[in-house]
Amino acid sequence: MDMPKDHSELLQGTLDLMVLKTLDALGPLHGYGIARRIEQISEDMLRLNEGTVYASLLRLTQKGWIRSEWGASENKRRARFYSLTRAGQKQLAREAESWQRMSGVIGRVLRLERQH
Amino acid sequence: MLRRLISRIAATFRRRRLDEEFDEEVRDHLAMLTERLVARGMDPVEARYAARRQFGAVTQMKEQLRERRALPPLDVLVQDVRHALRGLWRAKGFTAAAAATLALGIGASTAVFAVLDTVVLRPLPFAQPDRLMSFRNIDRRGHHPTNLSYPNFFDYRAQTRVFERLVCYRDAHFTLTDSVPAIRVPGEIVSWDLFPLLGVQPELGRGFLAEEEKAGTHVVVLSQGLWQSRFGGDRRIVGRKVHINGKSFMVVGVAPRGFQFPEDAPPMQLWTTIAEDASVTEETPMTEQRGARVTDTIGRLKPGVTPDRAQAQMDQIGRALALMDPDNNRNVAQTLVVPEQERLVGKTRRPLWIMLGAVMLVLLIACANVANLLLVRSTGRAREFSVRAALGASRPALLRQLLAESLMLGLPGSVGGAALSALALRGALRLAGENIPIPRIAGVSVDLRVLAFAVAAAVGTVVLFSLAPALQVMRVDVSGALKEGVANIARGRHRLRSSLVVGQIALGLVLLVGAELLIASLLYLVRRDPGFKPDHLLTFGIGLSDTRYDTAAQIGFSDRLRERLRAIPGVRIAAAGFPLPLEGFQMGISFDIEERPSPPSERPVCDMAIVTPGFFGAMGIPILRGRDFTERDDTGATRVLAVNEAFARAYFPGEDAIGKRIEPGGTNIGEKKTMMREIVGIVGNARQEPLSAKAGPIYYFPYKQLSWDVGNFVLRTAISPEQLEPAARAVLTGLDREAPMFEVRSGEERAAEAIAVPRFLTVLMSGFAGIALLLTGVGLYGVLSYTVARRQREIGVRIALGAGRRTVLSLVLQDALRMLWIGLIFGLAGAVAVQRLLQSATFGIRSSDPIFIIVACSVMAVASLAAAFIPALRAASVDPMQTLRSE
Repeated sequence: MDMPKDHSELLQGTLDLMVLKTLDALGPLHGYGIARRIEQISEDMLRLNEGTVYASLLRLTQKGWIRSEWGASENKRRARFYSLTRAGQKQLAREAESWQRMSGVIGRVLRLERQH
Repeated sequence: MLRRLISRIAATFRRRRLDEEFDEEVRDHLAMLTERLVARGMDPVEARYAARRQFGAVTQMKEQLRERRALPPLDVLVQDVRHALRGLWRAKGFTAAAAATLALGIGASTAVFAVLDTVVLRPLPFAQPDRLMSFRNIDRRGHHPTNLSYPNFFDYRAQTRVFERLVCYRDAHFTLTDSVPAIRVPGEIVSWDLFPLLGVQPELGRGFLAEEEKAGTHVVVLSQGLWQSRFGGDRRIVGRKVHINGKSFMVVGVAPRGFQFPEDAPPMQLWTTIAEDASVTEETPMTEQRGARVTDTIGRLKPGVTPDRAQAQMDQIGRALALMDPDNNRNVAQTLVVPEQERLVGKTRRPLWIMLGAVMLVLLIACANVANLLLVRSTGRAREFSVRAALGASRPALLRQLLAESLMLGLPGSVGGAALSALALRGALRLAGENIPIPRIAGVSVDLRVLAFAVAAAVGTVVLFSLAPALQVMRVDVSGALKEGVANIARGRHRLRSSLVVGQIALGLVLLVGAELLIASLLYLVRRDPGFKPDHLLTFGIGLSDTRYDTAAQIGFSDRLRERLRAIPGVRIAAAGFPLPLEGFQMGISFDIEERPSPPSERPVCDMAIVTPGFFGAMGIPILRGRDFTERDDTGATRVLAVNEAFARAYFPGEDAIGKRIEPGGTNIGEKKTMMREIVGIVGNARQEPLSAKAGPIYYFPYKQLSWDVGNFVLRTAISPEQLEPAARAVLTGLDREAPMFEVRSGEERAAEAIAVPRFLTVLMSGFAGIALLLTGVGLYGVLSYTVARRQREIGVRIALGAGRRTVLSLVLQDALRMLWIGLIFGLAGAVAVQRLLQSATFGIRSSDPIFIIVACSVMAVASLAAAFIPALRAASVDPMQTLRSE
């Protein structure tokens, strides 16, 4: 179920990881804020489709990795704030580790090219 | 996975609020995005559009998340169902075919499960049935379980520390003479605490008291059925006297409705105490004969005692009994403690499980057909699904719709199946007959458990057959299907459909081999010589009251009755004897051979019977050497015996048995000592055990020298035996109005009853194989027809280019042959396994004989090619002009 099935699902996984990392780095945040942060760090990845952030938030909530509460935003408007759960923190640590291992491996593989 | 499901279920209840909240979130998000763009100097109207662009398709996102957040709302499900029904209604032919196939499969399997459930699985209907144990001895000669003698039973009962209660019971027959005609009913002679042992409270009155085991007490508990039919359900029956076997019995209780003990057929009508066996006037009462192994025993284990530990302790008692009375007990020092349920259904369990397995294969084959039908349908609809997917229907939505359709198909299938199973059961019970020795089978019905099975079978089936089409939907590639048409999908599907047919052929082969083995075995049983001539033979039992007939009177009655029966026109010979052939091992009495004497515990034991002069002639058992008994072979003459060939071979090998003398343990009533008896005749082997491989040894006493029972009367007739029943009845009533006539059967009926169980199983299995063959043929036909229809263009071109009809014909048949070959090869392993499995259930055949597989393969091949021929002919008759023009 959680195995990426095609390109878009691979992107989904990446997006989920980015959302987790964002909440980890910046603390509780609303959807708009998360979208801005991801836009900032990933440049164009979300450019045309930032609504997908909400799909990601729903997935993560259903998995129990994040939770949400209604609160007041900086301009005193009511907004839903998302924050990391303990399970989410663990998941982030796991994912980050496997990403790093993977990117390390891929980096080495790419460097290995054309050595024959 | 589970977390997500829980979260979705929870969300279902707050659906509206969550939807509103999300709308608000999106609205705010868009507003903030717009503000940001305006702050960067964009025109406000322009900015609103830009924000929406950046966010993506707002409505679609809302829709999508709504769907994912919670379970599908009820109205969507209702819509799915309605859509499915509409679709099924439009394809009436398809729906009817699929539902009928399903109903057939589910009906058959539910019926078989009902039989298995009632007969084998259902626990005994008594308190804490798992603690009820059957207790028997093991005879070390031949190592078979054997009944207990009364004195031994009393000792075991007194000394056991592992059983709370130990109760003996023995089948008997009772004649009720309170009104005319007298009736004879089966009843049970039991020790006093049967009802407390079972935890059963009589509906009226009470059970027995301990002191009612003493000789001279006559008390009876009536069954519900007898109480209703014979005594009009009178509630004042308790305390009244009734006339049984010429004696006056007091009714102390009426058993509750549905009470039956033991549960073996036939249903018992009354219960009385062992006082019945303690009070015999002329001889030592049965309750005092340590050598007479007459009674079955059932016990309730103390809490926490295992059967093994119980057996160990009972073995100790058994060894002590053997030391005390070696002559009678040395051979039965060992005991056997098994669950009563095991004793009751142990023999029936395996064949019935095999039948359930077989019918499950039928169900699988039916499923394959339905899956095939669904695949054809979904192939036709691939474009519909592609269009819907392109229009934004999500994958789960498509799956949901297919599933709804499957369920709507499964519903009439399971309802029809349940109805069909009720019909099938009625047919099966009629087929089994009233006297089939399968315990509890008369109580088989479609109850809640069986319905639960039907529902489970239906749901399992539905899941199974929606799997294939669903897998296809999962693979729908939207643009692909739209662009390239359905060719690719169709190819994958064709492979799947072919493999379903291959599976059907394989399973069908397994069932065919199974049916063949049972049919061959049954044919062997039907054809083999029972050792007597069942045609033109009428047999019946009569009941004579012990009190009104002493031994001399009984002999006189038998003489007069036989004389008058002989006088009936159409009767050639009238005689009597018991037990009759094919009735199984009934009475075994050990004997000492004069030339080779041995101590009592080492003596051989075998079947015996008591017969009148003319018995062998009436039964059609040939007298091979020596002579028949005559009316002069009575207590005043030399004691004589006849033996069968098997007896002569077993105990006097290489010698002439005529003139040899043996001393059997049985004595005539009133005699104190056993006597040496001379063998005067050797007769043919009339089979006593209907299913054994060989006829066993048996020896015959002349009735007047061992007058235990008046026996069954047998008439050799010149006309059809059934016609003579009224005349015979009239003769009997003319002699004694109170003597009931029972078990009136022709010899052929007896022969048929003896093999009722194998015939029952054979008919079932053949039915399954027949259905399997039919369904497989239909499956193959369906796949090939579809292929031909799809390749019509290609075939048309081929014919136009000069391919002969024959080439086209073989083109299609080759397709069929390929599936056939693969199917047969896969089926081979199963077929061999079935041969091994059925080895113990068949008689007189070598079940591993490859001929069975060869024949089954041939039958399958013929059926398959027959099914393939119609589409092949259709292909060969394709008109090239027409197909090419339609291009």
